[in-house]
Order: sequence, then C-alpha cells, then structure tokens
Amino acid sequence: MFRTLLRTSPLVARPSARLFSTSRAVFNSTSHKLNKDSHVYKYLQEGPSTIKYTAEHEWLAIFKDDSAFVGITTYASEALGDVTFVELPEVGDKVEVGDTIGSVESVKSASEIYSPVAGEVVAINDVLESEPQLINTDPIGNGWIAQIKLSDPAAIESSEELLSAEEYENSLSEN
Amino acid sequence: MFKRAQNKFYSTSANLLKTPLHEAHVEFGGKMVPYAGFEMPVLYKDQSHIESHNWVRSKAGLFDVSHMLQHTIQGPQARALLEKITPIDLGSLGVNQLSLSVLLNNEGGVIDDCIITKHGDNDYYMVTNAGCREKDVKFIKDELTAFDVNHSTFEGTLLAVQGPQAAELLQKFTTEDLSKVYFGESRYLDLKTGGATTRIHLARSGYTGEDGFELSIPSGTPAEQAEALSFFKVLINEYPDIAKPIGLAARDSLRLEAGMCLYGHELTEEITPIQASLAWLIPKSRRADGGFNGSSKILGQLADKSSVTHRRIGVKSKGPSPRDGNKIFNAEGKEIGYITSGSPSPTLGGNVAQAYIDKSAKIGSGIKIEIRGKLRDGEVAKLPFVPSKFYKG
Repeated sequence: MFRTLLRTSPLVARPSARLFSTSRAVFNSTSHKLNKDSHVYKYLQEGPSTIKYTAEHEWLAIFKDDSAFVGITTYASEALGDVTFVELPEVGDKVEVGDTIGSVESVKSASEIYSPVAGEVVAINDVLESEPQLINTDPIGNGWIAQIKLSDPAAIESSEELLSAEEYENSLSEN
Repeated sequence: MFKRAQNKFYSTSANLLKTPLHEAHVEFGGKMVPYAGFEMPVLYKDQSHIESHNWVRSKAGLFDVSHMLQHTIQGPQARALLEKITPIDLGSLGVNQLSLSVLLNNEGGVIDDCIITKHGDNDYYMVTNAGCREKDVKFIKDELTAFDVNHSTFEGTLLAVQGPQAAELLQKFTTEDLSKVYFGESRYLDLKTGGATTRIHLARSGYTGEDGFELSIPSGTPAEQAEALSFFKVLINEYPDIAKPIGLAARDSLRLEAGMCLYGHELTEEITPIQASLAWLIPKSRRADGGFNGSSKILGQLADKSSVTHRRIGVKSKGPSPRDGNKIFNAEGKEIGYITSGSPSPTLGGNVAQAYIDKSAKIGSGIKIEIRGKLRDGEVAKLPFVPSKFYKG
C-alpha cells in the first residue's frame, strides 16, 4: 500500500521511508500473526489455509473456498498512526492485481490499498466506517478491509509478489 | 556587510543537521525524519498524532523550532531595508513588539513569511522558515547592498511553548511577570535553565492558535547548548502533567485548524498577500505611498478588488480528507479552485482544509472536491476553524 504513498503532509515532506524505518524498532516477529479471535479467522471453522504478505504491507488470509480477506499489516498501521477514515471498495467490484481497493487515512496522510490478487469483492468490513481505529487496534484481524473471491486461486502459490511470513519479516529488516 | 553565522550544529551521516535538542528528542522516543535539512521529530513514542494535538489544545506542548533561521538586522537604514522588502510599518510597532510579515518579490509574490521584532529604531530581530533558508539569505543579501545595514543570521535553540498552560509552566522559571507580556510582545529575561540562569529572548506568539511563547535560547557554545538541553528535559521530566514534546505532525494540524499559512502551500512566490487573504499585513500607513517590493501590484489589487479572482478560504468536509492539490468544483461542475492543505481535524471532527477558491463561492456554499478520482461534497468555511486564544490581557 505504500508503493505510492499519497500526499504525505507537506510538513513531513515525504518522510515515509524514514518514518517506517524508525518504527521498525517496535516490530516483532509475532505482530503479524492473524488474530485468532477475529471474524476473519473464524470465517471457516478450520481457519485460513494460508496467510500471505506483500512488500507494500498488505496481508492476505486465504480460505479453502478460494476467497481471501485483505488488510494492512501491523507495521503499516503503526507507520500511519491514528487511522481517521477508511475508504472501502463496493461489493461486486471486479479487481485485478494492483487495482486500488480503497484507502486508509490518518491525520497526516492518505495511503492507497492495492489488491494483491485478482477477483471479485464479495464482502467489505463496513464496521470500519464507524470504527476506523480497528485498523490500529487489530490490523490483522477485525481491521480487515475486504474479502475477495479469487478468480485464479492457482496464482497464489506461483506468485512471486506474495510473501510468506518469514519472507515478509526479512523484507522489513532489509529496508 | 553581510555575514553568515558559522553553523554550530553537528551534521549526521546523512548530512542532516541536528538541533541542540536533538539528543533529547531521541531520549524521549522521537521518530526522527529529515525536514528542511535537519533531522527533526515528527511524533514521539506513546503519543499518537491526535493525542499530541489535543495535548497542545489543553495543556502545554514543547516544539523544537531551532531549524528556523534567526536574523539580526541593525544599522541606520535597518528600518528602510525592512520596509522595502516587506510591507510592515515599523513606525507603528513599539520597542519589544513583533508582527507577522512577508518578504516580497518585485511582483508582490511572497518569498517567505517572517516574524519581525523591534528592539530599537535601528535594531530588529527576524525569524524565517527553515525550508526557505538559502533563497531568503540570497534575497536579503542582494537587497541590502543599497542600504547601510548589518545583517547576520544565527542558529540557537528556538523553543515554542504552546497551550493554555504555557504561561503557568514558564512562570516557574522566571521572575519576570509573564502576565504583563501580551500577545505580540517580547522581552529579554533571565530564565532558570539547568544549573544556571540564562538571558533569553521570549516572544508571546506562536503557530498553533493557542496562547504561548517562543524562546530564543543562546546556544553558541557547548556550555550554552547544555543549558538549553537541560532546560528542555527539566520541563518534560519535572512537569509531566503539563509539558510534553510535540512533533512536526501535530504542528501542521494545529496551524491548519488555526487558519495559519504554511509556506509552499498557502503562500508561494506567485501569490500576493491580498490573494492570500492577508491584506491586514499591509497597514493603512503603507497603502498611500507604497515603496515596498511589488507595491504597485499589491496596491492595485487593494484599489480594484475585481482584479483578484480567487482568495484563500477554508473548506470543511466529511469522509476522505482533502489534500494539497485536490481540485475544487462548484455545483454546476465548473472548476473553481484547489486545496493547499487539508487533514482530519482532531479538535472539531470531520476534515478541515485551506484552499484558493473563486471569490464568487461564498462561505457556506456547497462545493465538490476531487479526491482520488471521485467528487466528494464539501463546504466553503471561514478561517480560522478553531478560534485563536491569544493572550491580550
């Protein structure tokens, strides 16, 4: 989502990379695990089949019914600060990899969320309209943004863009 | 006649300068970012942006603004120089009084905004923006060749203390009666810093809309720097219920709510103070004879209001926040302006923004703002969004 961080506040003259690198200190290896008490985890009784991450700090929880929940990682949520507004896609939207599916705003900036997968939006987390702070309190869980029915489930395993937890963690420490 | 002060600040590995308070920012958990050539705190740990913002509106926030450039302008023609490069009337300004003004180019555009303090008929102190440092210095250097003036710049600790409890906090460190220092006034006074007493310059002013002060604390020697650093830490460590350090993030949202301009956004070299809704910066006494840079254009705009089509004004909205550069349309779909700064308002809820909009759009009228390709509803609103609480006695 931070590939093209939109309009970071002028005063903070595009410090995004720096801001994130300093907040890396608070990152730890357990902070990007899916919250097992969340709606996302409980969507199917057996939980998700796979969790993936992107270099743009999105997470993807993939279920056996070939749908995936999408949200932003703890790292991204901490870098943004207090989330004040979340713009959601609409149910029925058809998306390709890299399409904008919404945005997350804090007081100082707005960041686009890009779909890491192709498919159709089948559910949105409209609780975020009244409680955008869920992105801060439970980013990888009840702060999910959209559920997408995958048009090409086989692409998940072959994708080089989708990272395992370990690969994602390594990408953070490389930055 | 021009000398540039030796830069006493250390440089980091990335060639970023550090202010004398840098060590304390790191100690207090500041997230440091590059800003105008300095490494400055944007936020501090355990304080979200909104918490920092609200703290300043209810307590006292400490802002390190040492990256701003301080100038001394002295000599028999100091007033003449300043009254050429800005539209200020220094005759009506008393000793130890200060005023906002603007450095103007020959087309009446704003090179920078500045605060000018009068210390005597031939003795002035000015503070300008960090981001405009190079061009301001060149501009002043070019202008002063025609004047008998000594101009020098210096860097020191510049600390803004802002909020309803700012006076109560600072009073603990000086015997000077701060209730006698009103908004727009300054004093040299003794401040109990760390182990010693330091002679500092205190101005009752600020950039948040709250009551508050800006302290210029000498930091030319390591001993002076240590005193300034110690004072900053004492404020935070000994008065944790009143004082917190506040970063750049909240500084921007506070000034936006207070309707104040940020250079490079509301103010540019292409915009005159009249277009920027800052006609009050040209006092009556300067409107007859002009004589300042760009005065023919600026006085022309004052005489013929129809020559100015757009003005700086507020915008309110819900939903995604307007941001710099967003286009503004009227109800009929005609493009009528653009946003220069915008963010959610921690004080008021909803979003607030500053914009340049066609003057025909009156306060209260509905507008559309294009944000991420979609038109969103907004409303023209008056500035400031949050009323200023300056101490006027």
